[in-house]
This record gives sequence, C-alpha cells and structure tokens, in this order.
Amino acid sequence: MTSQAKTSGPQGAARLLRYLTMPIFLGLACLALYLYVSSQNLDSIEQRSLNPSAIIEQTGRLIELAGISTVIVVVLGVTTGVLLTRPYTRRVTPFVIGLANIGQAVPSIGLLALFALTWDFGFWPAIVALVAYSFLSILRNTMVGLQQVDSSIIEAARGMGMTKLAVLFRIELPLAVPIILAGIRTALIINVGTATLVTFIGAGGLGEMINNAIRLDRTVVLITASGLTAILALFIDWLAGVAEDILRPRGL
Amino acid sequence: MTDEATKENTQKTSETMIRLEDLSKVFPGQDEPAVDDLSMDIYEGEIVVLVGPSGCGKTTTMKMINRLIEPSSGRIFLQGEDVTKVNSDKLRRRIGYVIQQIGLFPHMTIADNIATVPKMLGWDKERISDRTDELLETVGIDLSYRDRYPKELSGGQRQRIGVARAMAADPSVLLMDEPFGAIDPITRDRLQDEFLRLQREIKKTIVFVTHDIDEAIKMGDRIAILKHQSKIAQYDTPEKILTDPADDFVADFIGAGASIKRLSLSRVEDIEPADWPVASLSDGYEHVQEKMRSTEKGYVLLLDDGDRPSRWVSAEDIEHDDVPLEEAGRPAVAIVEASSSLYTTLDTMITSYKGSAIVVDGEGHYQGVVDFDTVLEAINAMRPEEQTRDRAKRDVQTGDGGR
Repeated sequence: MTSQAKTSGPQGAARLLRYLTMPIFLGLACLALYLYVSSQNLDSIEQRSLNPSAIIEQTGRLIELAGISTVIVVVLGVTTGVLLTRPYTRRVTPFVIGLANIGQAVPSIGLLALFALTWDFGFWPAIVALVAYSFLSILRNTMVGLQQVDSSIIEAARGMGMTKLAVLFRIELPLAVPIILAGIRTALIINVGTATLVTFIGAGGLGEMINNAIRLDRTVVLITASGLTAILALFIDWLAGVAEDILRPRGL
Repeated sequence: MTDEATKENTQKTSETMIRLEDLSKVFPGQDEPAVDDLSMDIYEGEIVVLVGPSGCGKTTTMKMINRLIEPSSGRIFLQGEDVTKVNSDKLRRRIGYVIQQIGLFPHMTIADNIATVPKMLGWDKERISDRTDELLETVGIDLSYRDRYPKELSGGQRQRIGVARAMAADPSVLLMDEPFGAIDPITRDRLQDEFLRLQREIKKTIVFVTHDIDEAIKMGDRIAILKHQSKIAQYDTPEKILTDPADDFVADFIGAGASIKRLSLSRVEDIEPADWPVASLSDGYEHVQEKMRSTEKGYVLLLDDGDRPSRWVSAEDIEHDDVPLEEAGRPAVAIVEASSSLYTTLDTMITSYKGSAIVVDGEGHYQGVVDFDTVLEAINAMRPEEQTRDRAKRDVQTGDGGR
C-alpha cells in the first residue's frame, strides 16, 4: 500500500504541535510528582516502595500485562471479526457476539476472581481475563468496520476479477482500519485500567503498589502509584491516537 | 431502408462475441426463476442494451455473463469459448465492468484504481503507467489527477475514471449496469455523447443495462426489451423497435411519441437540405436584390466573410439601401450543426420564426437550410412500406384514420 501519511506544510506543523501537547503535559505531571515525593519525609515503608527500581519494575509489569493482552486480543478479535462477517458464518455470529457480551458484562473484578478460582493465580490467568474483558470492543469494531464498507466497492472489486481473499486484504480491511484502530485503542485503555486490578489474583503491577498503600495508609505511595497509573494510561491513549492518524489510509 | 438492410447484413456476418444459451437462474429459496431460459447472441463491436421494467431480471442476466451470479442452468460462450465453468475470477479480468455506483476504491489513488486489473494480470510497472496515462487522456481527465483520491473528484469525473478502470486491460467486452444512472441529466447527456464518440474508436462489445428507454434508444446498436423473467419481448435495432414494435408490451414500454423518438436516431446530415438563395454581406445591395428577384422563397440568407450565416432579408428589407446590409432584416438564428439529430433540428425549427433551420458544419460554415417540408419528406422516405402498413393496422383497430 502506498497510502501512508506524509506530513507537510503548515498543516503538518499544526499537527506536530497537537501531537506534542500531551507528552509535554505528561512530562510536567511526572516532574510535579517527583518534586512532591522529594519534598516529603519518607518512612522506611515508603522508602522501600518508592525506590526507582521498584517503581520501574511495577510499571513495567503493568505495561507487560496491558501490552501482551492487547496483542493477543487484537489477533483473536480481528480474526474472529473477519470470520464472523463472511457469509458462511451467518448462523454462528449472534452466538459468538453473545459470548463476548458476557465477557464484558461481568464486572472485571468478578471475571478475574472467576479465572483465579477455576484456574490459577498469577500472570497468565490475568492475561486471559484481560483478553476476555476487552475482546468485545475489538470484535465489534472489526465487524462494524467491515460491514460499513460500501457493498458497491466490493461488487466492483469482485466484478474486476479480484479473488475473495484479495478483496478482504486489499479492500475490506484497509477500509475498515480506522474503525478497527478505534476498537484497539478502546481495548488498550480497558486493559491498562483493568491491569491495575490483577494484583488481586497475584499478577503484580502498579495495582499492587496502590493496594499496599491503601492497606498501610501511606498517602505518598498512593498518590505516586495512582498518579503514575493515570500518566501511563494517558500516554498509551496518546500513542494509540498517533497510531490511528498514521495508519489511517489516505483518501478516506 | 436500403441503409438498414445493409447494416443488418453486416451485423449478421460479424462474429458473435457473447452467446447465451438456455440461461436460467433460480435464486435459493425462491420458486420462480429470476431469469427463465434466455438465449441470445451479442455481436462483436455492438452496444446491446438490456432494457425492461425493474425486477425483470436484466441486471441478473448481465451479471451472469461475468458470473458474478452463477447461472442455475444453461451455458455462456465468450468468443466461441464455453466459459460457464472456467475460473470465474480469471474470466472477470477479461471483461470490463462498470456499475451505477462506480465503486472506485476510496483508499487508492486514481492511478492505482485504474491499475487494478493490469496489476492482477502481472503487467510491468512501466506498461501500467503508460496505459494509465493513455486512459486518462482517452476519458478526458487531466494527468495531474493521477495521484489524487476519488473523493476529490466530481460525480462526472468519477464516472469517467470508472470507465477508464474497466477498460484498463483492454477487454473486448464491457458490462455496464446503469452506468449513467446516478448522474445529473445534463452531465449524463454529455457523458453519453462522449461515450458514444469513444465507442466509435474502440469498438468494444458492450452489454448495457438500463430501465430508461430513451437512454436505450440513444446508446444501443441493438436493444433487447425484456419482460418478466428476462423473456425477450423484442431484440432488434432501435429503428425497428420504434417503427415496428413486436407486441403491446413493447409498444407500451416505448410509450407515447415513438415517432418523435425515432427522429433522434437520424441526423440532419443524412437528409438533403433545401436549396436556398444566399448572398454574401460584401456583395452589396444590388447583388442581393438580384438574388431576391430570381427566387420565389421570399427571403435571402446573407453570409458573412467566414461563410457563416448572418442575416435573413426579405424583399421589403432591401428595397431601400438606407441601412448597411449588416443591419438589414433579421439576425440569422435557429442554426443547427450537421451532426445534430432530426429531433433537435425539429425543436429548433419550431422555435424559429420562419419554421426553418440553417445547417452549418462543425466550424459554423453554411451548409444549407432545412424546413418542415424537407424533414417530413425525409421521414416519409425512411420507411414508406412500414408507414402504410402501420396506418392500415391502426385503421383496422380503431376504425378511423388513427391519431
């Protein structure tokens, strides 16, 4: 595909500025958080929680959880979405969507508990729970994205001798990209948010820091951990937004 | 009449491009077939228009030719080859396809859209690029549009690109499903004219679907009027269909004014313009007065230096030379080009004050004058037998002389 975004001219400059606003704001928020923590007298418990290596480890864990679960859910969700919009799967479509609906309708913490009880505690059960929880947003957007492709475009493509597979990869999916990307962005946000809860089934992450801070009544730690979670969520949302702009086919 | 006869003869001897044999289609879950046992031959280089009321199966019939709809039974031949069972994707790359909604790919540039089929056929880049430029020129789109996207084009431009895309790999057959249906009437008329001009050069075999009988008459070398389930009511040249409808269904479908419609099929250049006294503006009064005395027409047409019609003058207008010839009489209006249809000519004549039209060539040079008598004579000469037979038929039916 030759349709990649190229920025140029005054429009490009305005776009660049718009792209830079969020990272600058988040950088300032990080700085504020750092200055706030430095100005406090930390006791031993707080010092143990708020050392750089611990923070990096827990933040890394959160990114890992959200990242891996999103990659898996994108692969599963887009594939299922493609399959469910083919004519031969018309019968099973409502059934699969119903199942995905259950995944999202059950409260996230309940879903986590369910997986922990029926399977195990730890990292992978947490990943599976996150996937189940965000699956619907990708599935639904993929299906809507594919269904909104103008049928006359597909008819023209078939009429010119494109195979069904070529129509899917060269016409349908590229035209569905904006809507699928929006679904992926939603899934990412859901996963970052829910990943702070997986501490309850022992999968770690920044949620563990928050949880400990609440139990031990350490406000500084609580503010740092929840502040970092918020900054991370906003940053990932920003990244996804930039990706949406870059990956959207030109001409749409 | 002799004209038609020779035309028919050449068509009979020309090669059959598409042959449909006992073609039927029953859609799953339906008792009645959408197309029932259709057989027809489509000759090379002709525009065949499938026309009929909505739901008659004309689009289904067309889509069975490139097998977007697989026939339930029957066979399809393309250039003598049975293509009923060949790989349908490969078959479609040999057949151009234009639909009403055009269906340009919005995420691809104009050039990429046009290159769709050549790419599938594995042409090299240079050949594709040359062909794209050539096609853009053919359909009259500026080359600077190459890297634009479809949304930047107007409806008429998109339609042109749609046609260019269908012709990209130079298929010998084009299928067009109401290609001008979604375009405003003025642009549609222009696109139709352009397309007919193009067809005179490229000589493709074209199957054209429409529900508009006027479009069918304008575009078709042959028209197939289809009834329910794609049963052929009449398959013939527009002239024959208009003068000799096969049954009441065809007559009803043509609607009122078949004779008037027929006028749009003949061009004013096909009839003999009446002789008319002309003089040049630079000839001077005396010469014009001389002309006036030698004619019984009562009017002399004055031409300017470029041989273009300028003024009509009557005997009274030139009695005294008190005004220059350039201002004498009335301005020469009601001018038609020799390539105009008789329909347009008649329309112009009716609105002109003398009931005549001046015929000029493409550059505006004077060719002759036609009036009602000339046109009536020409119409009568076109089909003497048919008319008398028609009149006799009507007399029998209605008991009077008809309308």
